Amino acid sequence: MDDYQTEEEESAFVVEESVEATIGRNTYQHNRVNQWSTSVVEQCLGQLGKLGKPFKYIVNCIIMQKNGAGLQTASACFWDNSTDGSCAVRWENKSMYCIVNVFGLAI
Amino acid sequence: MEGSDTYLIRPNHQHKFKPAIVKEYIHEIVRERLSGVRYNPEEVPELSHSLADCIKDKVKNAGFDRYKLVVQVVIGEQRGQGVKMSSRCLWDADTDNYAEDVFMNDSLFCVVAVFGSYYY
Repeated sequence: MDDYQTEEEESAFVVEESVEATIGRNTYQHNRVNQWSTSVVEQCLGQLGKLGKPFKYIVNCIIMQKNGAGLQTASACFWDNSTDGSCAVRWENKSMYCIVNVFGLAI
Repeated sequence: MEGSDTYLIRPNHQHKFKPAIVKEYIHEIVRERLSGVRYNPEEVPELSHSLADCIKDKVKNAGFDRYKLVVQVVIGEQRGQGVKMSSRCLWDADTDNYAEDVFMNDSLFCVVAVFGSYYY
């Protein structure tokens, strides 16, 4: 069975690239955030699928405007620790935060 | 004597992950724990962790056999900012599913998503 721990870095890299490519230079715009978050997630998932590993993936993206408010995310998972894992990527620019979580479940 | 084919590689309809039931659980637990609570940056990390664990235990005990669960809780302060959360999954749409719920009061908002993935 594959060990996800060593691939966490690989998926973190894939995610960072996707986020940078999609919203890298943009300022928060309410009417475009829908399309951005969909596109970040779909790109991440597409790249992860291309890695060809025997995993099911769940990719989650949160885009939040910077305005001084606080945000906390937590996750609890019931899975097999030796084969499954997750990684969280936090990204920000001057106007918004983007948090992407990737969960990989071995088949 | 041949062994009978008892190893299931697909859940039968009764045992599939049922989003409606899980959504009810989430709704109940969040409503109970967060009504009247104000956003406090010191308490929120512990609150979100304990909420995630609580929901995970409840769904585990609901008897979805052979399902791996991922529970995600997001709690944010309400200050008029815009937020968008989206998810995509690469899985087997026949056996896997998810449930989500949103709770808001005037000081905070809370989004919970529970994903269930069948373990072949």
